[in-house]
Amino acid sequence: MLFAAVVYWFEANKIPISPLDGLVGADGLPKSLAYVLAGLSLLLIVRGINDTKIRLRSDLADPDETGSISDWIKPHLRAAGMLAIGVVYLLLLPWLGYTIAIAALLLAVSIYNGAKFNLHTILVAVIGAAFCQLLFVQFLGIALPNGELIDQIIGHF
Amino acid sequence: MEGFAIAWVALTTTTAVFAAFAGVAWGMLGGALPGISPSITMALLLPFTYTMDPIPAIVLLASTYVGAEYGGSIPAILIRTPGTNAAAATAIDGYEMHLQGKGGEALGLSLISGVFGGLIGILCLILLTKPLASVALYFTPPAYFSLGILGLSVIASLSQESVVKGLMAGVIGLMIATVGTDPVSGVNRFTYGAPELLAGIPFILVMVGVFAVSELLIQAGQPDQRVQTDRRQLRIVLPSFRRFRRLLKPQLIGSGIGLFEGCMPGAGGTVASFMAYNEAKRWSKNPEKFGKGSDEAIVAPEAANNTVAGSAIVPVLSFGIPGSNSSAVLLGGLLIHGVQPGPLIFDQHPDIIYGLFGGLLIANVSQLIIGILLLTPAIWLVNRPKPYLLAAIYALIFSGIYSIDNTLFDLYLVLIAGATGYVMRRLGFPFLPLVLGLVLGYLIEANYRRSLLLTSGEHRVFFEDPISLGLLIAAALLIIGSAIRDRRTLKKQQLTTDNDKTV
Repeated sequence: MLFAAVVYWFEANKIPISPLDGLVGADGLPKSLAYVLAGLSLLLIVRGINDTKIRLRSDLADPDETGSISDWIKPHLRAAGMLAIGVVYLLLLPWLGYTIAIAALLLAVSIYNGAKFNLHTILVAVIGAAFCQLLFVQFLGIALPNGELIDQIIGHF
Repeated sequence: MEGFAIAWVALTTTTAVFAAFAGVAWGMLGGALPGISPSITMALLLPFTYTMDPIPAIVLLASTYVGAEYGGSIPAILIRTPGTNAAAATAIDGYEMHLQGKGGEALGLSLISGVFGGLIGILCLILLTKPLASVALYFTPPAYFSLGILGLSVIASLSQESVVKGLMAGVIGLMIATVGTDPVSGVNRFTYGAPELLAGIPFILVMVGVFAVSELLIQAGQPDQRVQTDRRQLRIVLPSFRRFRRLLKPQLIGSGIGLFEGCMPGAGGTVASFMAYNEAKRWSKNPEKFGKGSDEAIVAPEAANNTVAGSAIVPVLSFGIPGSNSSAVLLGGLLIHGVQPGPLIFDQHPDIIYGLFGGLLIANVSQLIIGILLLTPAIWLVNRPKPYLLAAIYALIFSGIYSIDNTLFDLYLVLIAGATGYVMRRLGFPFLPLVLGLVLGYLIEANYRRSLLLTSGEHRVFFEDPISLGLLIAAALLIIGSAIRDRRTLKKQQLTTDNDKTV
C-alpha cells in the first residue's frame, strides 16, 4: 500500500496545471490522498511488526499459518484460475460471438469448479447459452457481439 | 395525503408494481443461495436497471433487498446453511423445527414475521426520511464536505478488523473517484489516453466487481459443503391469528432493534438479528426453549432483519450516506438515474420517492404470495450443484455489465475490481468504505474546492461553520474512539499471549 501511495503521488504530480484551476488544483486531492494512504500504510506496518513481535514472544504460530504453504496458496490459485477463465472469455467473445462464447464460459466454469466433463454438463452449458441468448439478446435487446467467426460463416454462404 | 396521491400515480402509470413483484421473487431466489448476500443479489441486477425508467428501477432494487432477507431463511431452516448472514440466527431454531417435522411452520413464521418487520421498517422510512432530509437544508459547502468525511469515518471506524484498514479502504475509494475529468478545471486525471475513462470509473462496475465477482473467486476456492434437502412436498404453514398474537412481543422486540440498527451505519441486518435473538430470549417466558426449536427464536430475528431492509434506506435518502452494502447498491441505483439524495429529493423527485415507498409496501405484502409460490423453485435452486450456479452467476455478470455501454472495456474493469475485492477480503479490508469513498468522492472534492474558492483559500471555513465543525468533531471522536478500541484489543491479545507463555 505504501508503494501504491508513492506511485499514486508521482502519477498525481504529472497532472497538468490548468488556468481554470481554483486555489486547489486538479492534483490537490490526489496528492493529499497519497499522503494519507502513505501515513495509514506506515501505521499498518508498525502494527504488523508489533503483532509479529507478540507472536514471536509467545512462540505461537498465526492460526492462519498453521497449514502448509500449498494449503494456503490453493484457494488463491483457484481464484486466479476463475479470473483467467473470465479473461479468456473476453478475448474470445469478439471472435466467437456471444452464444458460443457464453456456452464455452458456462462449460469451462462448471468443469473448473468440479463438474464432470460429460454429456450432462455439456447439455447444461448449451441450454444455458440458449437461455442467455433468448433473455439478453432477443428479449432484452442487448447488442451482444455476433462474432467475426459467425459473420464470416454467414458471409461465406 | 399528497404523498399517497403521488405514490398512486407513480405506481399505476409505470411498471413499478410488476417491478416490486419481480424484485421480491429475484431477491428470494438470490437470498436462498448460500453465499449470495442481498447486496450481491442487488448488484447482479444493477446493470439491468440502467435502461429502465427510474421508478420501476428503484422499486426493483429495493424489493430485491426485501425478498432477499426472507429468501435467506429458506436454506437456514431447511439445511442449516443461512442464505444470507442475517439469517444465521434463524438457522439455530429454524433447523431444529425442521428436524422435528415442522419445517413448513418455521417457514411460515419466518415469512409472516418478515412481512410484519418489513411493514414497520417502511413506516419508519416514511415517517423519518422527510424530517431528517429537511435538516440537510441548512448545509453549506463546508458542511457537505464534512458530512462526506463523517460518513467515511463512521463506516471506516465500524470495520471489524481495524479502523486503519477501514480508513485505507475509504481512501482507495476516493482515489478511484479521482479518475476521469476534473470537475472544476476539466483536466484529465489518470486516464492514460483511454477515452472510456474520461467520465471516470462508473461505481456500478466497482460494486459488481467487489461484491459479486470477488464472492465468485472466494467460492471457487472453497469446497461445496452444502447438504441437500429432501424434496418431499413441503408446504408453508402460516401461523393462526392466535399464535401470531402470542408472538407479537418477540416480533416487536425484533422490529425495535431493526429500526435502531437500520438507521445506524455499519450495523445492518446481521447484528440486528442476533441482538433480536438475544433480547427475545431475555424477555421470553420460555427461554429454555431457545435453541431447541422455539418459534419466538425465529420470529424475533426475522422481524429484525426485515425491518432493517426499510430503516436502512432512511440515511440513504436523507443524507446520501449508506449504512450497509445493500443500501450502498440502492444508492448506486439512485445515482445512476440522476437522483441525488438529500433535502431536495422530495421537491425534485417526489414521484420516485413516494413511488419507492408505495413499491416497498407492495413488495412486503406480496412476499406472502410469492413466498408460498416460490418455495419449490427455491428448494430446487438450493439443491443445484455449486459448479453450475457459479457458472450461471459469471454469465449473468458478463451479460449484464456489457448491456450498460456495449463495451468490453467495462468487463475488464469489472474483473480488475473483482480481483481487487478478492485481495481486500483476503487481507481483511472492508468493502463498504471503498464503495462509499467512490460514491462520496465527488461530493467531498467538489465541496472542498468550492468552500476554499468562497473564502480565498482559508481552511478555517470548515471550523467556522457550526454544522461543519460539529460533523468534523464527531468524525474525529469516532476515529479516536475506534483507535483506542483497536489498541485495547491489541493489548488484550498481548496480555493473553503473555499469560499463555507463563502457564
